Amino acid sequence: MALFGESRDISMFRHVNRELMRDIISEQVVYYKYNLTKTNTNMYGEASEGRYFQDPVLIYALVERSPQSNPVDELGVEFNYALTFRFLVDDLTDIELVPAVGDVVMYYEGYWELDSINTTQFFVGKNPAYPYTDATGENPLEPGLDNFGYNVSSICTAHYVPADRLNIVKQRI
Amino acid sequence: MGSKLEPSFLIFIIKTLMANIPIWPGSSSFAPGDTPFGFYDTDPDFQNDADKVAKFCGLRLGYPIENVELQDINFYTAFEQAVTVYGNELYAFNVRDNYLSLEGASTGSDLNKSIITPNMVNIIKLSEQYAAEAGTGGNYNWYSGSVTLTGSVQDYNLEAWATENNISGGLEIKKVWYEDDPAISKLYSPWAGILPGAASSVGLVGVAGYGPSTNFLLMPLSFDMQNIQAIEMAQQVRVSNYTFQLINDKLRIFPVPGAGDEGNKLWFEYSIIDEKYDASITPTSRVNNVSNVPYGNPTYDQINSVGRSWIFEYTLALAKEILGYVRGKYGTIPIPGAEVTLNQSDLIAAATAEKEALITRLRDYFDQTSRQALLERRQAESDARQSEMNQVPMTIFIG
Repeated sequence: MALFGESRDISMFRHVNRELMRDIISEQVVYYKYNLTKTNTNMYGEASEGRYFQDPVLIYALVERSPQSNPVDELGVEFNYALTFRFLVDDLTDIELVPAVGDVVMYYEGYWELDSINTTQFFVGKNPAYPYTDATGENPLEPGLDNFGYNVSSICTAHYVPADRLNIVKQRI
Repeated sequence: MGSKLEPSFLIFIIKTLMANIPIWPGSSSFAPGDTPFGFYDTDPDFQNDADKVAKFCGLRLGYPIENVELQDINFYTAFEQAVTVYGNELYAFNVRDNYLSLEGASTGSDLNKSIITPNMVNIIKLSEQYAAEAGTGGNYNWYSGSVTLTGSVQDYNLEAWATENNISGGLEIKKVWYEDDPAISKLYSPWAGILPGAASSVGLVGVAGYGPSTNFLLMPLSFDMQNIQAIEMAQQVRVSNYTFQLINDKLRIFPVPGAGDEGNKLWFEYSIIDEKYDASITPTSRVNNVSNVPYGNPTYDQINSVGRSWIFEYTLALAKEILGYVRGKYGTIPIPGAEVTLNQSDLIAAATAEKEALITRLRDYFDQTSRQALLERRQAESDARQSEMNQVPMTIFIG
């Protein structure tokens, strides 16, 4: 029987995380969710007619910046600037947002396209969203397992994308 | 290409179970039943102070700059405990200061609202053991018995004697009556012409205590006492041939009884050991230990501002301790992509030190008001005053 990491404990974690991310660090980004159904693709799977995004949402994130670089190749001078956005899953759940590769994040007037999504930080090794329930809605070995564990974060790595490639026009934010 | 901002479509969201336990919002509203024991819930002053104390603690713990992961009921619990601890310390001090006067008192009294006047009951009880051993009182009986002497038999078994006389519980011989007549009978001679200092010689020949007194000389009482003691000592050391030896349960008589002693009785006094044990135990429904001294919880509205101030501080220390345990259940708290360590160890260390300091301060304060301390202070004041007065020059009156 699970003893630690019950939802009451997790509630405390959530309070601490939100205090930390909102009141203490207060780092925000604007999230553009890629709209797959609106975006048309050609026979090569390319969004040749342009990509569509859903309305932007403002969300708290811990942003990890790597050094900028300007490699030179046969096409000229590039600009590389990778960022890692660390979101609190609770915040994502509140706004019903599931990060996916291809989504775009605006951070200080720059745009970053997500390359990878990593959602594996589970407290006490359990994600309460997957309690392995049977037909009765309970875990056969341990009823109430959905009350334990914590899916803490969604960690997204992203590369810099020039705004002209996205054609996203800032309207309100 | 134009703007690609479009309304959102349905996205697949995994809704996790989110039990959100509310934390301290900055204010509260106390209601009876909000404390674990409810000792003071109906006290209007307690009700009034509960929310103020909660606010005080919340602010002292960093709210609203920082979250305080506690609820109003945590503060109320700490508040109730602080009042109870204050009462415990206060009444434990009272019990310590008065227990000799309280042991044996009725448990039905309400000492919270009583003045305790010291009494000597238990001091006298303490003294009874000495009185009993000295044969001048006490709480168990002395009995007398005798063995019949047999010529040429020096040893007499007192255990066998006790069995013959159906006496159980173990004997403790208190006195063997082998003495001669009391020394007083040898002090005042009935015979004429003999001065007090030489009177013992008359007693020694067996005629003391008889006949009229014919000469009197007024002497101080101490003179008589000294003479009596001298006579007793002379009888025991220089004159008496009679003595005994008591080893285990065997009484050996000196000298060996002769044929003329046959049938005479040798008297002795004894007590029964079991009765001594029994005399030490008095079954009672009255106060017999510090746990049933009839003190109740304090009445909050009668605690003065000095006491309440202590209670508020102790409440804060307890709240700090609770918060420390809340923040410290897990060594680290996961945050996105990392972990943080909260200040639980600081909180618990500070709370422990503060609680200890507060208890020490309270006990010192109470101890300074103990009966002994107050009398000593009064004596010191008196001495100081007298010393001060001695500095005043004495006026020389010339008539």
